[in-house]
Amino acid sequence: MLTSVELNALRLSLQIALVAVIASLPFAVAVAWLLARRTFVGKTLLDAIVFLPLVLPPVVIGYFLLVLLGTKGPIGGWLYETFGVRLIFTRWGAAVAAAVMSFPLMVRSIRLALEAVDRGLEFAARTLGASRFDVFFSVTLPLMLPGIVTGSIVAFATALGDFGATITFVGNVEGETQTLSLAIYSLTQTPDGDAAALRLVVISLVLALGALFVSEMLARRVRRMLGRA
Amino acid sequence: MSERLRIDAAKQLGAFAFACDLDLPLSGLTAIFGASGAGKSTLINLVAGLYQPDRGRIVVGSTVFFDAAGGIRLPVERRGLGYVFQDARLFPHLSVRSNLDYGRRRANRRGDGAAVAFDAVVELLALGALLERRPHTLSGGEKQRVALGRALLAQPRLLLMDEPLASLDAARKAEILPYVERLRDEFAIPILYVSHSLDEVLRLATALVLVDAGRVVTAGSISDVLLDESVRPFLAAAEPGSLVFGVVESHDDRYQLSTLACDQFQLRVPRIDLAVGTEVRLRIPAREVALALARPSDVSITNRIEGSIESLGTQGVGHAAHALVKVRVGASTTLVVTITRESVERLALVPGLRVWCLIKSVVLDAGALVLARGRAAQRVSAQMPANDARA
Amino acid sequence: MLARALFAACVLLMSSFTAPPAARAQEITVFAAASLQNALEEIGTVYKQRTGHNAKYSFAASSALARQIEQGAPAAVFASADEQWMDYLQQRKLIVDATRKQLLGNSLVLVVPAGSKAQVDLKPGFDFATVLGSDGRWVTGDPGNVPVGRYAQEALTSLGAWDFAQTRLVRAENVRVALAFVERGEAAAGIVYSTDAALTQKVRVAGTFPASSHKPVTYPFAVVAQHDDPTAREFLAFLEKDEAKAIFRKYGFVVH
Repeated sequence: MLTSVELNALRLSLQIALVAVIASLPFAVAVAWLLARRTFVGKTLLDAIVFLPLVLPPVVIGYFLLVLLGTKGPIGGWLYETFGVRLIFTRWGAAVAAAVMSFPLMVRSIRLALEAVDRGLEFAARTLGASRFDVFFSVTLPLMLPGIVTGSIVAFATALGDFGATITFVGNVEGETQTLSLAIYSLTQTPDGDAAALRLVVISLVLALGALFVSEMLARRVRRMLGRA
Repeated sequence: MSERLRIDAAKQLGAFAFACDLDLPLSGLTAIFGASGAGKSTLINLVAGLYQPDRGRIVVGSTVFFDAAGGIRLPVERRGLGYVFQDARLFPHLSVRSNLDYGRRRANRRGDGAAVAFDAVVELLALGALLERRPHTLSGGEKQRVALGRALLAQPRLLLMDEPLASLDAARKAEILPYVERLRDEFAIPILYVSHSLDEVLRLATALVLVDAGRVVTAGSISDVLLDESVRPFLAAAEPGSLVFGVVESHDDRYQLSTLACDQFQLRVPRIDLAVGTEVRLRIPAREVALALARPSDVSITNRIEGSIESLGTQGVGHAAHALVKVRVGASTTLVVTITRESVERLALVPGLRVWCLIKSVVLDAGALVLARGRAAQRVSAQMPANDARA
Repeated sequence: MLARALFAACVLLMSSFTAPPAARAQEITVFAAASLQNALEEIGTVYKQRTGHNAKYSFAASSALARQIEQGAPAAVFASADEQWMDYLQQRKLIVDATRKQLLGNSLVLVVPAGSKAQVDLKPGFDFATVLGSDGRWVTGDPGNVPVGRYAQEALTSLGAWDFAQTRLVRAENVRVALAFVERGEAAAGIVYSTDAALTQKVRVAGTFPASSHKPVTYPFAVVAQHDDPTAREFLAFLEKDEAKAIFRKYGFVVH
């Protein structure tokens, strides 16, 4: 069946993608809210920065992360000195790389969902005694749910598949950062690695298709709950 | 109850300028009436807090909602309001029950008490069968009933309604109107009701604010405003007429007539199917009233009411031959009468003269009758100062 | 206006996309192990001066290059950092056997970031852990396929340190990427060729692996069968000239 190396890669991929999505979800919601609801100096800039990972070569993103978050970088150095936290060569760093690459898609999906929420409903909630905070959690967020679900799953699939940013930032560490993509890459360089590479390719395909399928099912279910609102 | 609703505010919305200075009763149902775009929604939304006035003060009872000078801006959620929107705005992700509970739970948390009980509202608005349903499965009328209930259950100190029946068809409107009446009568919560429909206003209002082009034309008790000359152009669809309040006193089975006890006089009308004691409103078109200098006895006209002439004039009449006479009958009711100018001269009518108003019962049929229930009708007769900013 | 300018730019851009191969007749494509980059580039400049021909290089791990040639990549000359990958192509009849030559040698070193004070005696039983610290990692080419990684694994195994080392390994695509990680200070140590270490001030050689601990590092060169032509053979011959040899030596390679 699958060797331990392959199983490691599979399990690691799923874990890293999951962490990436869950950790970036609150930020994605916050950024989506800022972009959808507020005007401020530098808004266009923020919009552009959020979307950079979609436009730049992944290796470039990986390089930026390396320079910023490596233990010798400004932010990474501070993290290392103050908390002893190291991102490079670790699964946490891999999660960061995956999160950064999938962030734009998540934000876009959530922003669209947010913009579709009827502001009239929010005002109605306020007339019923709900503070703005309360309105967000009791009305806006539930109505955004289909978008959040779809965005998360697409982000998950994107995170699963990342290669350039991951390998440039956290390198290829078996059992730590060697996700499916990196494992497949290594195997294609290895003589007689084709069969194993193919196995992993098939698994990646199944995962991606599965993610898209689940996303569609979940979104449909949530939409039904909201009465197609 | 001498609590008042004071709205002294001005607001510029794009090219539209709105200003008013109102002192309204904080009781009964005050209708905000006018054509589309007149500023009705602007007024109610200033009270609601959707936008803040550019200047002025809004005080509800003893609570200051807004005070430009004092820098007070009470947030929407702390104004203690209930708002019924034209499009219901039920939360699609919640069941009817949860929708109803939404305001109630937050009122509880604030400690606003539970004067309005869940079961009472469900019963009043016949929502029992709908409780576990989802908003998107409800009809338009059902949605509005739930919206009414939800607003009520928020324990509001003031209910706002912005054309709540406008998007319903005639049948639904007829279905919901009685609920609004019951709301007005059974809960002592003042209502601000925006509408462009005169029928709704005649039926529901105890006070009226007439809005046009961003200004208040006039404001006061419903019967007074309807008599006001300046109101005539805005009620173009309606003929001159009076609104009379009465109580069903008795029914005559033999002649199939009902007797209404009005303010110091009686009216006999073709039998109406209402219990004795029910309060009703009658609309009496001015053209249906004739005047006599003495109480005629050899005449078929059933209703002969004594009164004295308040004023005479030709302003607001539909034809050059006509004149408008206002006759004070009873303690606080004025009847508007349209007769020819020739008759005015022939009878030598002058203000102060004692006359008799003659109204055929036949005319006061179901079409004239504007059904209404509730004590609120009586309360309004007390004269109110109408502060307005005339254009 | 803007649309027209964009269209013109696109046309201009694409005009050189499909230049006929004849226009590149003076070029020779060379696939070479990453560690040869600096030396070969300098040689390429001299080659151009002497012959007028252009050497186009692709530097990467020998493993990656061999696999690409196997898939039909248009290389004329292949230079591997170990015998195994040249054998791999030879077995598949992808090189011109007669042209295979072992031109260079190299040695394997353990490097640390310049600021590190670590010093180690690379003999059997040496303590790798002291070099790495409690959580440090070391980097080299992927031992699964990159030559420097294979040498490293061999060396560490013979010195008895592989079992431990394996748990802290970061696999890089080629020796230069490994070097970069150490230069950055992100990796506590790395195993690269001495020629690579010599290129940068940012790393320090903490120790040289005894030649006995691993197969000799040799660089076989050969002409690729698919593109066997006079230019290719000429280039290979040029590499054996004194001028080229001097440049190789300058970079620290052992010239056979």
